Amino acid sequence: MSKAHDIAVTTHGVDISFGTGETKVTALQQTEFTARRGELIMLVGPSGCGKTTLLSVIAGTLKPDSGTVEVFGQRLDKMNQAELTAFRRKHLGFVFQSFNLIPTLSVVENVMVPLLIQGISNDEARRRSIAILEKVGLKGREDGKPNALSGGQQQRVAIARALVHEPPLLICDEPTSALDKDTGAQIMEMVRELSRSPDRCVVVVTHDFRIFRFADRIAEMEDGRISRVVDDPLSITQQNF
Amino acid sequence: MFRLALNMLFGDRAKLAMLLCGLAFSALLMAQQTSVFFGIMSWTYTPVVNIRAHVWVSDPMVEQANDAKPMRDTELGRVRSVDGVAWAAPLHTSFLQARMVDGNFKLITLVGIDADTFAGAPAQLTQGRIEDLRLPNTVIVDEWGAQLMGKSVKGPDGKMQTVALKPGDVFEINDIEARIVGICKVRRAFTGGPFVYTTYDRAKTYTLGARRTLSFMLAEPAPGITPSELCERIERETGLKAWTSDTVIWDWSDRSLARNTFWWFWKNTGIPFSFGTAVALGLFVGIAISGQTFYSFVLENLKYFAAIKAMGASMRVLAGMLIIQAVTAGLIGFGLGAGMAQAIGRVMIEKGMPPFVMFPQILIATLVLTMGISIVSAIIGIVKVSRVDAATVFRG
Ligand SMILES: Nc1ncnc2c1ncn2[C@@H]1O[C@H](COP(=O)(O)OP(=O)(O)O)[C@@H](O)[C@H]1O
Ligand SMILES: [Mg+2]
Repeated sequence: MSKAHDIAVTTHGVDISFGTGETKVTALQQTEFTARRGELIMLVGPSGCGKTTLLSVIAGTLKPDSGTVEVFGQRLDKMNQAELTAFRRKHLGFVFQSFNLIPTLSVVENVMVPLLIQGISNDEARRRSIAILEKVGLKGREDGKPNALSGGQQQRVAIARALVHEPPLLICDEPTSALDKDTGAQIMEMVRELSRSPDRCVVVVTHDFRIFRFADRIAEMEDGRISRVVDDPLSITQQNF
Repeated sequence: MFRLALNMLFGDRAKLAMLLCGLAFSALLMAQQTSVFFGIMSWTYTPVVNIRAHVWVSDPMVEQANDAKPMRDTELGRVRSVDGVAWAAPLHTSFLQARMVDGNFKLITLVGIDADTFAGAPAQLTQGRIEDLRLPNTVIVDEWGAQLMGKSVKGPDGKMQTVALKPGDVFEINDIEARIVGICKVRRAFTGGPFVYTTYDRAKTYTLGARRTLSFMLAEPAPGITPSELCERIERETGLKAWTSDTVIWDWSDRSLARNTFWWFWKNTGIPFSFGTAVALGLFVGIAISGQTFYSFVLENLKYFAAIKAMGASMRVLAGMLIIQAVTAGLIGFGLGAGMAQAIGRVMIEKGMPPFVMFPQILIATLVLTMGISIVSAIIGIVKVSRVDAATVFRG
């Protein structure tokens, strides 16, 4: 069923290690990973197994020591820094565990950042940011500072920022782990709903089993490798956690 | 994005205040220290400022305004006969000991001016009239000198206090009576004591008939002749040295007496060095403070720059943001600092305290330094941001 043009992300034989000699840590080992267009895939596994590292490789913020990384038909492992930067600008939206909102900017200004760095005019960027903030339920909070919002609201700002420029690849690293259970579920619901698009691929790193149900597929990681991929998220929920 | 850069800068009032305080304080320090330095240095050419003559004529060996090589009185006739001289008057200056009523000796600067024209007389008398100098044994003393030469008396509270000299008070120069008939306001000098003005002829008496008493001649160009043209003519026809009196000191070659005096002190004394170290210290502290504050501002924002970088901002955009923040903070900091320096300077000038000469060049130099510091900090920040791994944004 997976035709070539359905593939959004593939990594092949990716190795990454940090440090040298005694302190050398191997984070990824011959990692094979595939994600499709139109799906929400979760990357799960114990802490330190390499989830964030793999996410960084897919996101083009970290270059593999060896192996190939192909995202929407483009070889990230062959790009230089400037090319990777341009690639991220067009293709990627990020949601971080720690929100990473700029506290000195207003809510709407935070959301405008991805548009502004694409060279979109201030007025246009503002208009589009306000529109998406309304979708995440933050109408009227545009001009406040992020720190005046609750954790869940801040993460909603981050989702708006990640999607405002309509990137084909959305990357979320532990988006719910700083939030309580109900808020986490709400956030995932929002990600699911807003990011749904036949062309978009969403990769979510998590070890929060309560949100597994939002995944189309789940890839389990262990010691720097994908150990198995599960097509039925509910089964894994019951089996292992 | 650049507007956001400014919003980032202005978004945190507390941090911004810290940053601006640092920049403003260092700009203040730089501008203030240099201004005081140039103020003190400008005391070296005080005679030129106080005497207010268009052209000064001196012995050819004289190098600066405080350096009197007295000439014979007959030189006056030679200068007067130069074509283009409207008038010329004698001037005597010398350093002497004066004996106060209480028996103490004080160093004074005796200034003898022409009794007919009063050329070289102080611009402002706060008490008395200049014409009273024509009365026997009279002098006019400057305000600061009157205080300095004042009498110590027991005040009503039992403490000793100094009472300034006033018209009617008497002291002695070389055992000859000097009766004060006026108090004037003049600029203080770098060398010598209080200014004691008298007539040229009486100055001869006070100096006990020194063989030569003509320290300088003051000349006025005839209409249509510029001071420097007149200087040329005088030098050509008399072999004496002639000077103009403009006080712009940023050139050291020409015939301005003030300028040559300033640079003579610069070259031949330790003053620039000893005061210069204080200035250099001020500069150094200023650079350190503003560099440090801006750098810590950059460090505190590094995390957010990394996030922006991860989202795909090119280094050019990030660098532009940092530069804009630096330039803006630098300009505001400079404005505040220079403003404060100016305000402090005004107070200092009013109180007649340490001199304060804030040349436009000082402001420009302070601006250049403040901006330089900000931009260097921004460049360090740019290097930091360029090195920061975009992947760090995933790490908590
Ligand atoms: N920048 C780094 N320097 C050194 N070691 C690192 C770095 N990033 C990750 N690691 C190590 O690589 C391994 C995988 O880390 P990570 O991908 O963050 O795991 P996870 O996200 O699954 O918790 C861990 O052992 C971690 O300590
Ligand atoms: Mg992680």
